[in-house]
Amino acid sequence: MKHETIEKNTGLMGVLIALVISVAGFAEIVPLMFQAQTTQPMEGIEPFPALQLAGRDVYVKEGCYNCHSQMVRPFVSESLRYGPPVEAGETVYGRPFQWGSKRTGPDLARVGGRYTDEWHLAHLINPRDLVPESNMPGYPWLLDKYVDGELVERKMRTLKWLGHPYSDAQIDEAASVTEGASEMEALIAYLQYLGLANNGRRQQ
Amino acid sequence: MMTDGWSWFVIILVTLNILAMVWLLLATSKSKGADEADTTGHTWDGIKEYNNPLPRWWLWLFVITIVFSVVYLYLYPGMGSFKGSLDWTQSSQYEQEVALNRAKQDAYFAEFADLSISELAENDKAMATGRRLFLNNCATCHGSNGQGAKGFPNLRDDDWLYGDSPQTIVQTLNNGRAGLMPDLGLPNSSVAILARYVQGLAGQEVTEHVQQKGKSLFAVCTSCHGPEGKGNQALGAPNLTDNIWLYGSTAQEIEVILANGVQGNMPSFNTLLSQNEIKLLAAYVVSLGGG
Repeated sequence: MKHETIEKNTGLMGVLIALVISVAGFAEIVPLMFQAQTTQPMEGIEPFPALQLAGRDVYVKEGCYNCHSQMVRPFVSESLRYGPPVEAGETVYGRPFQWGSKRTGPDLARVGGRYTDEWHLAHLINPRDLVPESNMPGYPWLLDKYVDGELVERKMRTLKWLGHPYSDAQIDEAASVTEGASEMEALIAYLQYLGLANNGRRQQ
Repeated sequence: MMTDGWSWFVIILVTLNILAMVWLLLATSKSKGADEADTTGHTWDGIKEYNNPLPRWWLWLFVITIVFSVVYLYLYPGMGSFKGSLDWTQSSQYEQEVALNRAKQDAYFAEFADLSISELAENDKAMATGRRLFLNNCATCHGSNGQGAKGFPNLRDDDWLYGDSPQTIVQTLNNGRAGLMPDLGLPNSSVAILARYVQGLAGQEVTEHVQQKGKSLFAVCTSCHGPEGKGNQALGAPNLTDNIWLYGSTAQEIEVILANGVQGNMPSFNTLLSQNEIKLLAAYVVSLGGG
């Protein structure tokens, strides 16, 4: 085929360009969508309980991912600070996952249990009360906003339809469990839940 | 691991892609002879567009990338489930780095092995490391200089909830601490009086009325804070007479604690840090000077 033929047929050129730029995607991305390693949950990983699920939405809504990653990379320095590297099977229930690539603040993949609920409360209201050097903004309004329990229930039904193994009991009680909880409580519950299932001994 | 079907999918796609690149290079690099000036037929204001093959140096760059890819795919995993001749994996490289780092740390900490915690607190090199550990693990609650914050103990003052002996500090670091001040269920009027009585214990001036009423109300507090309010380190009950306040010294702040109770929680670090690091951290806390 002469390049003249291609250059003078826009349609043909479009098809060929699309083909060329998707080769890498077909070889590197498409197979991953069908690998158990990336689509099946790691042992002990469960979908987010109702309150944590609501907290996850607060996390996304407030844009926490703009400064915090949830992806401990496989390097010694990372493990010393955060814990074992994050594996694909840990985040299969993240829709979408919150790996992130920007770290103005620290990684949060293993933050669950590192601090107390009281610490998180004081820190989210005004980080500088606890860490004078911090440049994180405060989120005091989360105390005055409340979780919509019915919405959480509907969300869990949708996620179940998408394949998250929620039990009927979990979904039925979702509204009553989360109704009346402030967004602050939900967010703290979410943060305290992060990484618990694979928060084993840190590498020395 | 990749199933056979997907493995072949990747292998065939990658191979075809490399072969296509080779073909493309050969097809477009044919020399047309030195003098032959082939044009594309495009003319703009009398300027013609040549249809020349790629410059040599450019061509060679393409050749190099193709050779590189073939060598790479032979050495490293990439062709479906073929593991590569080097048997390299991401996790094995990570584990090697971890092992190497552990060996370096063990060698480093070996020189501190025979020193006691109080000796380490005097050792500049150990304390430089201790400070780094403190900043990474403790400063978020206790402050970068150990000055604490409301609800999070100051480590530089002379008030210790659980005691200041090196052994106690090591125990605190290893197992964490869970302090509990219960909600006393008192009516608001009693809470107000008791709060002012507690201020009085710490030396602030209070009225006669508060003194008398407060003393009887304080009876319920003595089981943890002691008859004189001097606290109990076995329980982590703070000394109320030293005018050092974890949750604030105003009557309002004390009332909140009395009405709602409060839980103090120090996480355990024995799963996060090695015993070598905990020993050094304890020494660093001692070196902060709280007596």
